[in-house]
Amino acid sequence: MTLHDLSRKLHIHLGLLLLIFIWLFSLTGLILNHGNWKFASFWEEREESIINFTVPDSVLKNPSPEARAMKFLKISGEVQLQQKTSEILEFRVQSPGIVNDVHIDLANGSGTKKVLKYNMWGKLRTLHTFNGMNKENPSQSPNWVITSIWRFAMDAIAIGLIIICVSSWMMWYKVRKEYKMGYVILISSFITAGYFIFWS
Amino acid sequence: MKKYYSIARVLHLYFGLFISPFILIFSISVLVINHTEYFNKLRPKKELESLQTQLHAFQMLGTDLLTAKAIIQQLNISGEIDWISKTDSTISFPVNKPGLNKRISVNTRTGVVLISQQDMGTLNGMTYLHTMPGEHNAKLRGNSFFMQAWRIATDVVVYVVLFVSATGIFMWYFLRPEKKLGMFSLGMGALIFLVLMMLLF
Repeated sequence: MTLHDLSRKLHIHLGLLLLIFIWLFSLTGLILNHGNWKFASFWEEREESIINFTVPDSVLKNPSPEARAMKFLKISGEVQLQQKTSEILEFRVQSPGIVNDVHIDLANGSGTKKVLKYNMWGKLRTLHTFNGMNKENPSQSPNWVITSIWRFAMDAIAIGLIIICVSSWMMWYKVRKEYKMGYVILISSFITAGYFIFWS
Repeated sequence: MKKYYSIARVLHLYFGLFISPFILIFSISVLVINHTEYFNKLRPKKELESLQTQLHAFQMLGTDLLTAKAIIQQLNISGEIDWISKTDSTISFPVNKPGLNKRISVNTRTGVVLISQQDMGTLNGMTYLHTMPGEHNAKLRGNSFFMQAWRIATDVVVYVVLFVSATGIFMWYFLRPEKKLGMFSLGMGALIFLVLMMLLF
């Protein structure tokens, strides 16, 4: 198998393998850039509820009470600790389309759980950005195994797309004499992309 | 249907080549966003020298954005104003370009301006592009020519991606030797997608 044949195979089959993901990220990218699209509105359509609870002593005495509280409340997701003092424990648990804001009074174990549930569009747009990373704290990495899996999938899709691009150049190079416009298109496209990165 | 194969091939090839550098920007930036700490170590952000200067004339205009735009015009700075914060005696805002962040802080009583700058590097510049125009500060977003152009470019790229993927499927349909393996690839992709969605939701 020549390098050209290999790149052709990779181009076709990686393209098909990633097809649904490409559509997902294209659609959600459009939705994120067009917050004014009414059909995809999610914030106005959100469901909010507040649940009061009391956690048992075993939760309060645990060295990591947020993990025990999540088990008690039967919630899972990416955890962000927001406030932890000797009196108060506040944390947020996020999974695509669901946000749980938990507040616990450590003195008596009473607490509230504010739940936000998004519609399908809200869930989809969360997928585009759901990587467990915190821009303000780059050393933070995902603490929910599902986030790590999704982040790994995002990386794999990105690498797959890079391979698809490189293989497309190799395939075109083989037929460049019949498709001379390719030179103009590729060069002008690189100049345009370069303008945005370097000269804007 | 097969009579459209050759035209689909030409369009797939040319449109695919056209979007490929943009796909690289989006793909590389995904890796940088997902592994920020690693890439920051590879190429740390550089604090550039801060500058202090004086505005020739300063006045608050109708909106904070107009005021901020008038300030950067006087300072001969270009870029996207990301957000604006104001107190009784200051107005401050970041003016960003891919890879270069500037923070302008103006004393509204004296007209003294402090400009701090950060060289973010090319890779972080790509992540900036990836996240723009984005979902935040929609009312402010697109206040520079570059961002207006980038907004159009991102939309065009997405629509062309959808078109190129559609022509790709069309062509694959007629490629007999690739049919079986192609069905497997498509099915495997769908299966992985389904499993991931079941895990996530």
